[in-house]
Amino acid sequence: MAMSQLAEKPMPAPTPEPRVRVENLRIAFPRPDAPPLEVLSGISLDVADGEFVAVVGPSGSGKSTILRAICGLLKPAGGEVRVDGRPVSDPPPEVGFMFQKDALLPWLTVTQNIRVGAELSGMSKAEQETRIPALIRLLRLDGFEDAYPKQLSGGMRQRASLGRLLAYNPSLMLMDEPFGALDYQTKIVMGRELLRIWEAERRAIIFVTHDIEEAVALADRVVVFSARPARIVADYRVDLPRPRDLRAMRGDPAFVHLTESIWSDLALPA
Amino acid sequence: MTDTAAASSPALSSGTAGSAAWRTSAAQAALILVLLGLWEIAGRTLFNPFWSSRPSLIAERIWRLALSGELWTHCSITLQEAGAGLLLGAVVGVPLGIALARAPRVAKVVEPVVMGLYGLPRVALAPLFILWFGIGLMSKIMMAFTMVVFIFMLNVMEGIRTIDPDHLDLMRSMRAGRFYLARKVLLPAVTPWILASFRIGVGLSLIGAVVGELIGANRGLGWYVEKSGGQLDTTGVFTGLVVLMILAMLANQLIGFVERRAIRWR
Ligand SMILES: Nc1ncnc2c1ncn2[C@@H]1O[C@H](COP(=O)(O)OP(=O)(O)O)[C@@H](O)[C@H]1O
Ligand SMILES: [Mg+2]
Repeated sequence: MAMSQLAEKPMPAPTPEPRVRVENLRIAFPRPDAPPLEVLSGISLDVADGEFVAVVGPSGSGKSTILRAICGLLKPAGGEVRVDGRPVSDPPPEVGFMFQKDALLPWLTVTQNIRVGAELSGMSKAEQETRIPALIRLLRLDGFEDAYPKQLSGGMRQRASLGRLLAYNPSLMLMDEPFGALDYQTKIVMGRELLRIWEAERRAIIFVTHDIEEAVALADRVVVFSARPARIVADYRVDLPRPRDLRAMRGDPAFVHLTESIWSDLALPA
Repeated sequence: MTDTAAASSPALSSGTAGSAAWRTSAAQAALILVLLGLWEIAGRTLFNPFWSSRPSLIAERIWRLALSGELWTHCSITLQEAGAGLLLGAVVGVPLGIALARAPRVAKVVEPVVMGLYGLPRVALAPLFILWFGIGLMSKIMMAFTMVVFIFMLNVMEGIRTIDPDHLDLMRSMRAGRFYLARKVLLPAVTPWILASFRIGVGLSLIGAVVGELIGANRGLGWYVEKSGGQLDTTGVFTGLVVLMILAMLANQLIGFVERRAIRWR
């Protein structure tokens, strides 16, 4: 019956609903003895399926805030967030969030912290037994399986936190400065791993960073936020070929040109 | 490469730390011996031991009570009362504390009542409890319970308040259920606070049990103190007090041991 209806009344051409649609979003935090602090005042952003979007902007501009709103952790004062076409009120099951602070549970070991992601994704016990050690090797945490977070460096904690996100296996990853505490070399290694994972499975990623070169090197699109209240001052498509060589591409004229113009969008001296 | 483990090896410092700890223990023991010595000398020269007894008399009495089996009976009765009251306090206080911390609006409503009961000098409840629950174990368990239940409740509430909001958001972002959240975040976060409550509660629950025994009982260390006092037997009174003190110290050691095992992640 459904088929015959379809045949009689041709449906409008299916416009693919983006993975994420942020429409005119307003977020304000109440303050004592002052009008609410307006952090986002009507921002709009679409993210297509499989797209890797980087967000850069001055600190305090509302980058973490927009991620929290997309994840349903903050109630909008106006506007709307939709993920896969559904308005977000509680965190949607397909979304995973990697926090700016690593948010590891201090009473759990590295393995146990990663297992939290696996358990909450509904992964079977048998699969956990192979998947978790594989993640630990991938993130070069071998030898620290049973270490508590306080015994790890900042970079190792961020990698464990990434391990938990990957164990949760979301099809939309929200990452808030995930490599901020890493040294240059480790950042390149982790960026490479993230790209490898993303290229294999084409999840959508929204990746907040304060590192402009990192944004250009990794993403399909770089969205530039202004200072608070955030507006989108620029939205670049990064047409560098994939797979990307994170070291060699830094000399590429297109790469240099793009980072230069983002620097000037942020009104910083070149 | 800054990206290495920050875990420092304790091997370097363990030698000096160990001998420092040993020296502290030695000094503690020396202090106790000096105080006992002074007491003994004063009891033999300055004061009539009728008023303040003497360590040697107390030691002798403990030995006699131990031989006759009375020491064990009284200790075990008082420990059962205090221990049961303490556990009951934890079993009731911890969930209540979690529930109130998770429901701030309910907490606001019940706060004046709770603080009123908390401020009440609960030792004054002893006569009432003897009346209600009789002179057996139950009245003392309830005394010990009322002394400690608020400690657990208030500590757990405070512990939940100190939870990192990112940990709650993390669990929410992965749609963790209520029990998963309790198991992975709430309980581990409040464990140090629960153990601290036990530490404070040991002394308080003993006070509760002993006060109950002073008012109405036929066994227990409190009863022994009360009976000895009635017979003008100061050595008996001090014997009861010394044994209570030793029990409290042992219980504290036990909790310290559990604390070091349970919160290794610190
Ligand atoms: N929970 C909150 N309550 C009040 N103010 C907040 C809260 N979260 C963020 N802010 C404020 O919102 C602004 C933007 O914060 P954030 O989104 O974290 O910035 P960014 O991640 O871009 O550095 C900051 O001024 C910050 O102080
Ligand atoms: Mg931020």
